[in-house]
Amino acid sequence: MMATVDPTTRQAAPAATATVVRLDRVAKTYRSGAVDVPAVKGISLQIPYHRFSVVIGASGSGKTTLLNIIGCIDSPGSGTVEVCEQKVGELGDEALSDFRARNIGFIFQTFSLVPVLSAYENVEYPLLLVKMPAAERRERTLAMLEAVGLTAHARRRPNELSGGQRQRVAIARALVKGPQVVLADEPTANLDSATGASIIELMRRVQEQSRTTFIFATHDPQLMSHADEIYSIRDGELIDHRHGGAR
Amino acid sequence: MNMLLKIAFRNLLRNLRRSTMTGSAVAAGALAMLLFGGFASYIFAGLETNNVQRIGHLTVFRDGYFLLGAGNPAAYGIDHYQDVMTLIGHDPVLGPMINVMTPTQSLVGIAGNFSGEVEASKTFLGVGLIPSDRERMRQWDEFGASRNFVADTRMSDSEPARGLIGVGLARVLGLCAPLGLPGCPRLPAADASSAPAASAVHQDIADLAAHDLGGDRAGSKQMPEIDLLAATSGGAPNVVRLTVSGGEPQGVKELDENYVAMPLSLAQQLVYGRGEHKITGIELQLRRSEDLPAARARLAALFSQHHLNLDVRDFGELTPFYGQVVKMFSSIFLFIALVMGVIVLFAVVNTMTMNVMERTNEIGTIRAMGVRRSAIRSQFTIEGSLIGAIGATTGAVLALLVAALINHAGLTWIPPGNVNEVPLRLDVAGRPLLVIGAWFGLALVATVAALLPANRAAQLPVVDALRHV
Repeated sequence: MMATVDPTTRQAAPAATATVVRLDRVAKTYRSGAVDVPAVKGISLQIPYHRFSVVIGASGSGKTTLLNIIGCIDSPGSGTVEVCEQKVGELGDEALSDFRARNIGFIFQTFSLVPVLSAYENVEYPLLLVKMPAAERRERTLAMLEAVGLTAHARRRPNELSGGQRQRVAIARALVKGPQVVLADEPTANLDSATGASIIELMRRVQEQSRTTFIFATHDPQLMSHADEIYSIRDGELIDHRHGGAR
Repeated sequence: MNMLLKIAFRNLLRNLRRSTMTGSAVAAGALAMLLFGGFASYIFAGLETNNVQRIGHLTVFRDGYFLLGAGNPAAYGIDHYQDVMTLIGHDPVLGPMINVMTPTQSLVGIAGNFSGEVEASKTFLGVGLIPSDRERMRQWDEFGASRNFVADTRMSDSEPARGLIGVGLARVLGLCAPLGLPGCPRLPAADASSAPAASAVHQDIADLAAHDLGGDRAGSKQMPEIDLLAATSGGAPNVVRLTVSGGEPQGVKELDENYVAMPLSLAQQLVYGRGEHKITGIELQLRRSEDLPAARARLAALFSQHHLNLDVRDFGELTPFYGQVVKMFSSIFLFIALVMGVIVLFAVVNTMTMNVMERTNEIGTIRAMGVRRSAIRSQFTIEGSLIGAIGATTGAVLALLVAALINHAGLTWIPPGNVNEVPLRLDVAGRPLLVIGAWFGLALVATVAALLPANRAAQLPVVDALRHV
C-alpha cells in the first residue's frame, strides 16, 4: 500500500498574497583576476508565495547569481535579502544551512544527485537533515517517488537512470521536505525537448498540488509559457516584471 | 551518522582501486609494525625469561654491595639471612607473589688444577647457590619463551662439593678432556724459564691446598677436581676443593672464562671459614613479572620498617645488557612506526585530496541542500578513518597469519647473549596491546591525514563548489 499522506503538501502555508522573497537594492560583484565584474546591480524585487516564477535573461545577465542569493548559498555585496520572512544576512553559516535545509529546495541543471545513493536515498537525504523520524521519512520518500513516477526505480543509482529520470529524482528531492521555495536553475537545459516538456509538466503539477513557490532561471520558452510571474534581467539589472500567460 | 557512514563506505567502493592502494599502504604499515613488534616482544620475553631463570626478578643486597661489592663480596655479607628470608617469606603481601626465594654468595678468587697432568690456575668469579632452588628457578616460563625444561643433575643439594665451571675456564684449566667438552685446544707445555712467577703461584696454591685439604683427591674418578683459593672475610687465605661435574657455556667470553658455580655451603666455607656464614644476596623469583614493582616497593617498605640495612635491585639493573637490547629494539620499532606513519599520512592525504577534488560539485550540492560544514568535514574524515581502519585490520590479520606460519615453521636462532639456539617466534597473537596500539595508531594517522582535505572541503564556498566541473 502506498503512502496515504500527500508529501507535496506543506504545513501552515502562508497566505497567497504574502511575499516569499524580498530583495532590496541587492548588488553583487565578483572579482575576476584584477577586474571587478558586477553580476547584480542593486536589484529590488518581491516574489509572492505559491507562484511559478521565472527569471529570464541572456547568459551572463546575473540570473544564476540572483538565484544563488535568493537560495542563501551566496551573499550579496550590499542590500538586504529576506526569504520566508527571514532576513538571511542575520544568520551565521550553520543557521543558514539549517534554514536552507528547512525552507529551500534546489533543482540543478546537471541534476547533481549523490552518485553513491539510490534514487530512494537521494530523495530521503533532505529529510535526514531535518531529523524527521524514520517511519515518516520512509512514508514521505515513497510517496514522493510515486508522485514523480519513479517507484519502480527507487533502488537504482543515478548512473542507472536516464536524464529525465534523474531530473525527476532531483525534483522529488527538492520537494520531499515540503519547502517554502524551490529554486531551479535551467532545469530543462540538459534534457531533450520532449523530456523537458514532461519535466515542466511535472513541476507545474506538483507546484499546483503543493502550492510551493517555484523560482526558475531559464531561457526555455516552454518554461516561460508556464510562468505566473516573469522577471527579466539584463546586465545585472531588473528591466521588467510582468505576469505570465499561465496566470 | 548512518548516512555519512553509508556515503563514506560507498565512495570507498566507488574508487575501489584508489582505496585499495591506500588501504594497502596502511596494511603494509600494520604488517611491518606488528611483525617487528612481535619479534621484539619475543626477544624481550626470551631475555627476561633467561634472566629471571638465572637470577630471579629481584635480589636483596646489603647497602653498598651493588656499587662496591664486586671488589670484596665477603665484606658485604647479609647477617642472619635466614631471619631476613623468613621475614620476606612470611610477609602477607610478598609471600603469595614469590615463586622461589634463594640465598646466594658471590665470591672471587683463584681456581687451580693441580691434578699432576696439568698445572694451571686462573682467577674466577664464583657464585654459591642452592642447586634445588636453581632447578626450580629454571622452570619459570611465564611467557612460554623457554625451550622444554630438561632437568640438570650436575649439581645436587646432597653433593656439597660438586659444581660447574664456564667452558672457557675449563679450557684454560685444561679440563676439556676430563669433562668431555669439544673444541678445546690442548694446553701448551709450561715453560718454567719464561714464566717463573706463574709457576711459583701454582706451587703456592698447590701447597696450600695440600696443607688444608690433604693430598688425596677423593672426588669421583670420572670428574676432575679443582682447588679454589680465596681470602676469607677476615683476610686469611682459604682453599676448598670443587668436584667439577660439567662445563656450562656462558654468553659472554669474559664470564665464560671466569665462571664457577658451587653449592652455597662450599662458597660460605671458602669465604667465611669457621666464622658466621653469611650471604651476599637473596634472589626472589616472582610468579608473575607484573608483580615486580609492587614486590620491590613492599621490600623497601619492609626493610625500612625493620631498620634493615638492605637494598633491592631488579634483574634489569643487574644485567644492563637486557635494558640495552630493549632500548635498541624499541628504538628500531619506533623508527619503523614513524616511517610507516609518514607513508600512511601522505597516502591518505593524497587519496582524500583527490576524492575532494572529484566530488567538489557534490559537496556544493549537499551544502546547498542544508548540510553543515561540520558534516562535510565529518564525511571526508570518516572516509579517511575507514581506509585506515580497514587497512589496519587487514594488516593485523595478515600479521597474525604470517606470525602463525613462522611460529610453526620450526625456525631457530641464537638470541643476543645466548649460547644455545632457541625457536624463532613472532609473538603477535600474545600481545593484544601491540596489535590494538598499532591498529589505533594507524587508524588515527589516517584520520588525522584526512582532516586536512576534509577541512578544505568544508570550507569550500557553495557557489564555487557548484560551479566546479
